Amino acid sequence: MKLRLQITKDRSIRFISHLEYARTLMRAVLRAKLPVAYSEGFNPHMKLSLASALGVGVVSQAEFVEMELKEPVPPAEAALKLRRALPAGIRVVTADAVDDHAPALMSVAGGATYQVVVPAANPDKISQAIGAFNEAGSLPFIKKAPKTKAGVKEIDVKFYIPHLEAELQDGKLTLRFDCRITPAGSMKAVDLVNALNKQYELELPVELADIERLDLYRVDDLGRHEPMLAGAQ
Amino acid sequence: MTKRDYKKDFTIDMLSAVEKPARYTGGEFGSVVKERAEVRIALAFPDVYEVGMSYLGFKILYHILNRMEGVAAERTYAPWVDMEKLMRERGVVLTTLETKQALAECDLVGFTLQYELSYTNILNMLDLGGVTVLAQDRKEDEPFVIVGGPCVFNPEPLADFFDLAVIGEGEETLPELVTVYKKWKAAGRQGGRTGFLQAAAQVSGIYVPSFYDVTYQDDGTVQAVTPNQKVAQPVIYKRAVKDLATVDYPTDPIVPFMSIVHDRIMLEVFRGCSRGCRFCNAGMVYRPVRERKPEQLRQMARQLVDNTGYDEISLFSLSTADYSCLDPLLDGMLKEDFKDERVSVSLPSLRIDSFCIDVAQKVNSVRKSGLTFAPEAGSQRMRDVINKGVTEENLMDAVSAAFANGWKKVKLYFMIGLPYETDADVLAIATLAKKVLYKYKEVTGKGGAMVTVSVANFVPKPYTAFQWAAQDSLAEIKRKDLLLKEAFSRVRGINYQYHESKVSVLEGVFARGDRRLGAALYKAWQQGERFDGWDDCFNFDLWQQVFTDCGLDPHFYADRVRGEEEVFPWEHVSPGVAKAFLANEYRKAKLAQLTHDCRHGACTGCNVCQQLGVTVVDYTGQVPVPAPAAAAPVNLQVVQTAGTPDTTSVAPVTEEVRPQ
Repeated sequence: MKLRLQITKDRSIRFISHLEYARTLMRAVLRAKLPVAYSEGFNPHMKLSLASALGVGVVSQAEFVEMELKEPVPPAEAALKLRRALPAGIRVVTADAVDDHAPALMSVAGGATYQVVVPAANPDKISQAIGAFNEAGSLPFIKKAPKTKAGVKEIDVKFYIPHLEAELQDGKLTLRFDCRITPAGSMKAVDLVNALNKQYELELPVELADIERLDLYRVDDLGRHEPMLAGAQ
Repeated sequence: MTKRDYKKDFTIDMLSAVEKPARYTGGEFGSVVKERAEVRIALAFPDVYEVGMSYLGFKILYHILNRMEGVAAERTYAPWVDMEKLMRERGVVLTTLETKQALAECDLVGFTLQYELSYTNILNMLDLGGVTVLAQDRKEDEPFVIVGGPCVFNPEPLADFFDLAVIGEGEETLPELVTVYKKWKAAGRQGGRTGFLQAAAQVSGIYVPSFYDVTYQDDGTVQAVTPNQKVAQPVIYKRAVKDLATVDYPTDPIVPFMSIVHDRIMLEVFRGCSRGCRFCNAGMVYRPVRERKPEQLRQMARQLVDNTGYDEISLFSLSTADYSCLDPLLDGMLKEDFKDERVSVSLPSLRIDSFCIDVAQKVNSVRKSGLTFAPEAGSQRMRDVINKGVTEENLMDAVSAAFANGWKKVKLYFMIGLPYETDADVLAIATLAKKVLYKYKEVTGKGGAMVTVSVANFVPKPYTAFQWAAQDSLAEIKRKDLLLKEAFSRVRGINYQYHESKVSVLEGVFARGDRRLGAALYKAWQQGERFDGWDDCFNFDLWQQVFTDCGLDPHFYADRVRGEEEVFPWEHVSPGVAKAFLANEYRKAKLAQLTHDCRHGACTGCNVCQQLGVTVVDYTGQVPVPAPAAAAPVNLQVVQTAGTPDTTSVAPVTEEVRPQ
């Protein structure tokens, strides 16, 4: 069976890298003594994968990990064992089991919800900019793309993030938004701030942006959001 | 405790801007967080996180101290230069990882002295942590600064900066010291700072530098080190645990998020090494050999694997192939305890003379990475001078076996600048390396071997037979390097690696330095020196200027031959080894005479056991050894230790000379 879990990356460990996070999970699986499967071959590796890579510094309420088990373990029991074996900054939210042939978690995510909090010095200008963003048909942005020849790639921010909810309070701007994930990729939440700064000449301090992924979800044929795990409430 | 509003937060932009931010955020599995504690002690490692987290000594002390009621032991590391810059710009204080106490808010701050080139980091960390750098200026409510570790056998260059030193093994000493501290604190800090230091000085193995006066002769050498307090003993002998089975060992160590230098279980199979290599400081200061029983080690290994989730166990010691019960231990672990698990066992180093195919067969491996051997010197005469003793035949047998079993890469460690070394001895390094290279063709019938020759500069250390010897001057080191470069030019298949000589000079100065060097250390730190062991930070010109400004001559410390009668600056702090023994070893070195290992033979007279009331603990013959395994394809993993791996041992000794 495949065990699927929704887990967190709390504020206290937000600065560990994706690789470090994955390694930590693998060690926790060993400490929990779950009967995890390994790949064949000369250098076998644990059959464990994360649904999507999270940027360093981003907090998450919704990380999804999938692992193949050699023998079935009730998800609730597996979750309990893992809870004891995880460091304080990773919590198990829900657990679910699917059969070995279910499509990989990685391929089913259709979108993510983010919250970005950033100091805001000029509320009027920002309000206007948010309004303009929500009205705009498209917003081209040149993002860094280290793996391509050019090193950059032009994307349409509005394709990924159609709408922003904004709140300005106590000198802080809080943005909440859904960001589309496609088989071809997605965009980083931090690039939304960069794009707003560029397009509307805001001076939001990107380096202080406090970013949190609130949810990751599937999108059905009608565009409705569905939870990643069937067993989740 | 200092009551101040410290700025402690590493903000998002700071952590986003630095390399490896996980160095600074803690929260690892197994870390112990005690919000309330009577005594808070910072275990401070004067280098970056991934180096410090690999240090076994602190794993042990963290465990032992945190088991004490009301005591919180926490960790702190030197921030890398990128983070330091941000901290200084914004006035952020250096804290512990666990409860984010500024170092100044701790009761005790204990630094380990692993290598001389980390000394500037100690000053820097104190300053970043809000602690007054000079001990004599520290205020009543500031923490006590403690040092310990291998370099504590000459702590004098740091005497201006620490309040007390723990000499030798800390497992028993530190809890005793903490108990004394608790009492002193509970009694209303009776007698102030001096009151505590007086009480601490009565704990065996505790050295308080301010309780000693040093006088010098006209020629600059030490005349005498004299106690100026009744409680100060003339000589502080190290503490050594009699039987390792009686002290607690951490079976639930911290599992870091980020990769660290030794990212595996470290299972200490024994402590000490008495092979008696004459250049080796560790071999003298960790005596005598004390083994753990295989049954205990297997239990510990089981718990460690269960508690950490690590899948690799390193059998740790100064020379693990010397462990008397290695065979039964490996069999028990691999054929029984972990036979159905993906757990591999590795040895940090292997000996040339008994490159046991037997052991090799038992140790699992995934990759055939290179093998490392340390002949240390190129010629037989030189290897006898340093009491290394291994023969060329040993090396050729070892590499033949390795090549025959599929290895292509061999790394050889050597030193240059050893006492009594001639150019012929230096050139013998090249000859030997070439023989290893050609051996590959002889064994396999084809070319393509890769031999890496790593050459380090010898630095004489206190409490070794070579403590009287002069270190080679910079010019001489460079000349010898050129000799080797020339000898290796146009040789394909040999990769010659040479260590920075200027760094060795500084190491040499501080290794055998005295209290007067404190001024230079302070000045160099003020001018921005830290991380001297890192090439990109080390500034030799600055150090030279600082020595000149302080009226100190680095040559006096590094490349001067000491007279037989000279009083060394470190003699009042002792691992128990007799000076006469070392002097005799130095004489034997000149004659290229060997001294045997006392572990299985007669006492060689170093006097450590007699002085400290301890004995060699070796279980040879007390645990049944299984029949040798049938020859099978070798699967061997060799993991290198940081620093200079001592991967060889002394060959069986025929001659025996008892020192007087």
